[in-house]
Amino acid sequence: MSPENEKYIEVSAPDFSRKCAEYSRRHFLRMMFAADERELDGHFRVYAVFSPAGCDRFDILTMKLKEDNLSYESITPLVPAAHWYEREMRDMFGIIPSGHPDARPLIMHGMYGDVYPLRRDVTAAGIKNAVDLSREDGYSFMNVKGEGVYEIPVGPVHAGIIEPGHFRFSAVGETIYHLDPRLFFTHKGTEKLFESVGFEKGAQLAERISGVSSFSHSSAYCMAVERTAGIEISPRAKAVRTLIIELERLYNHIGDIGNMCAGTGFAVGYAKGAILKEELMALNERLTGSRYLRGINVTGGVTRDVFEDADEIISVLDGVKRGFKDFMEFLLDSVSHTERLEGTGLLSREIALRMGATGPAARASGISDDIRRAHPHLSYGSLIFEAHTYLKGDVYSRMMVRRDEVECSFSIIDSLMERRHEGELGTSINEIMAGRSALGYTEGPRGSIFYWIKAAGDGKPLRVKVRSASFCNWPLLSYAIHGNIVPDFPLVNKSFNLSYSGCDL
Amino acid sequence: MEKLQFMLILLLSPLAQGIIKKLKAMMQGRRGTPVLQPYYDLARLFKKDMTIPGTASWIFHAAPYVVFASVLAASMLVPVFSAGGRPSGLLAGGGGFFGMGDIIAIIYTLALGRFFMALGGLDAGTVFGGEGSSREMTVAILVEPSMMLAIFTVAAASGSTNLGVIANSGNFFFSPAHVLALAAFFVAVIAETGRIPVDNPDTHLELTMIHEGMLLEYSGKYLAVMEWAHYMKQMLLFTLAADLFFPYGIAGAGAGAGIGIAAAGFWAGKMLALCFGMALVESTRAKMRFFQLPSLLGAAFVLSALSMITFVMTGK
Repeated sequence: MSPENEKYIEVSAPDFSRKCAEYSRRHFLRMMFAADERELDGHFRVYAVFSPAGCDRFDILTMKLKEDNLSYESITPLVPAAHWYEREMRDMFGIIPSGHPDARPLIMHGMYGDVYPLRRDVTAAGIKNAVDLSREDGYSFMNVKGEGVYEIPVGPVHAGIIEPGHFRFSAVGETIYHLDPRLFFTHKGTEKLFESVGFEKGAQLAERISGVSSFSHSSAYCMAVERTAGIEISPRAKAVRTLIIELERLYNHIGDIGNMCAGTGFAVGYAKGAILKEELMALNERLTGSRYLRGINVTGGVTRDVFEDADEIISVLDGVKRGFKDFMEFLLDSVSHTERLEGTGLLSREIALRMGATGPAARASGISDDIRRAHPHLSYGSLIFEAHTYLKGDVYSRMMVRRDEVECSFSIIDSLMERRHEGELGTSINEIMAGRSALGYTEGPRGSIFYWIKAAGDGKPLRVKVRSASFCNWPLLSYAIHGNIVPDFPLVNKSFNLSYSGCDL
Repeated sequence: MEKLQFMLILLLSPLAQGIIKKLKAMMQGRRGTPVLQPYYDLARLFKKDMTIPGTASWIFHAAPYVVFASVLAASMLVPVFSAGGRPSGLLAGGGGFFGMGDIIAIIYTLALGRFFMALGGLDAGTVFGGEGSSREMTVAILVEPSMMLAIFTVAAASGSTNLGVIANSGNFFFSPAHVLALAAFFVAVIAETGRIPVDNPDTHLELTMIHEGMLLEYSGKYLAVMEWAHYMKQMLLFTLAADLFFPYGIAGAGAGAGIGIAAAGFWAGKMLALCFGMALVESTRAKMRFFQLPSLLGAAFVLSALSMITFVMTGK
């Protein structure tokens, strides 16, 4: 029924938290979510996806909850990485994790009434009716008390052109004691929308979840649909996807390294990074017609074989390779810049591990976890590459992880170019049976991206769960910034490169 | 004509800002905005309505005027291209405003402006204003001693704290004390004008702002006045540097119009050189971590102290 590397383990509700704690000792918690499966068997279900380190397997713990008793013992006290997932389930489904240390709503801000948007019987009109803009927003930020402690409220409207997010700093002088971020100001209801657009059109929706991760998202989504349908795409389509995922990583990482220069006020470094990024995005446009690599992924394959433009890719990447080498030498020689990065925004391995960090942020803190290696998919199984880790967990490490990964992406693209890839671009997908489900995943520029799809009886999804990298990494910011000074916050923030849109679906 | 030389600072300071921006853009491989952009910005701001924070008191309204007036008053005391006759004071009717051009008076007239700018930032009642003000005062405390000591070295060499005399002395050739004092003064000018590595004038990151933070709640005419005052202060400090450390090509007493124009040309050349220097520093360095500023400004103080000691020991 389900793909062979997914193992569903049915657990009774009272045992759930104990079982999760047991698994979390040797497994990474990949995601946790709920689904309203009343139309299938009359129950709500909670899933917790674990994967053991060094083994391509997903152990998915699942439990049934009856509608009249949607409460279970929270796993957050034992598995801290679950904290946002559980709050999300409470907001979206009304499933109560009793004993969760944070009772505040996460996604549903004060203007929403008692409505649980992801329940299948709740309609868009129902959600709209429940909104009352005059309702009191009773959100309380965490207070730090003591002499000389003051609060700095920043946002949700910022001086630069970025998405909304509120940051409440508690500081003594310039030193930050605590950061309490509040996000989810622009909830779009994407997961709900997936349920009505159908499997095929969902690929376009997935592309629009997060601009600079468009291709990773659509790849993970398409993979989930294909696995749910039980089909395998051709090696050629896999190679195209692999190539473009790496192209996406390239422009992101190079742009991020440049953006860190904006955080230190290093204008020339920023400009150099922007030039390289632009060359890559212009290449994207020539290859796919979209600077953000949209319109290539469809369920069952890809629309275009970009290997036809191999010469163009090789010539542009040759230039970028040289430019990037000079760029990194220039940055590492600029002591005034690197000095700002070293020791700033420390994230310890312990916290990164327990809080479920992912992507470059996790690898910079010494966690060797890369979905491309841990769960080989697309063409990654036939490629040889490393997961690049650094031990210190500061801004400098996060820059260096990205540098190493850029070089790694260059070599992955080179090896893909050397081979011939056979097969059709697209594979047709038959009707997907109700009740089938599967995961789709990949390693995007910001970290792992997971999709979980379960089919309903009407040829549409019953539930599409999206777990972007930023959802895991946003809460880490509070830990990384602790003890730093206020003017360093933008720099630390940039080193994580978090997405508001990718987090607030 | 000498009495009106401050008009050069009043009218040309936005141009200097535009030139620095253009140079920076070129060094960063960008095309940049036109050099006249600061004029367009001021014209646009003067036409706009203002948004005043509900909590603002009279200080918020007074600050732009005090800031602008103090910078303008200081400009009047500085010999731009002509040091005129012997200083005999304004009241005596001879010479120009420079007769009152005491360097200490100039520095502390500017300090009055800064004080009110910081008050204005606090009075707006927002976090970023308060943050900017507190950081500005922290920096000011660190900058002032090195600036004053550097100036005293030059003053001691010329035997007067009157800028007219210093600029007119013309006998202050390069000496170790001179070079050390210049280095200290240059750092102080960077800090006073809010440039990298002390502050970042181009940032949109409100949490890192110093000067921009204090101005964040100002809009329309008030903002125009504040910005213009800032441009003037920048050019005034450049002119001070030119007067103190490169006192060549400044017209003396009773000089004819021809010499006056040539001297103005000299001055323009010095301004361009300083603009270039600023743009170069800003493009080659990242901003310093805020708590490391004391080391930079402390180094500037040590340089100025050394210059004073060198002067006392070598007598030149």
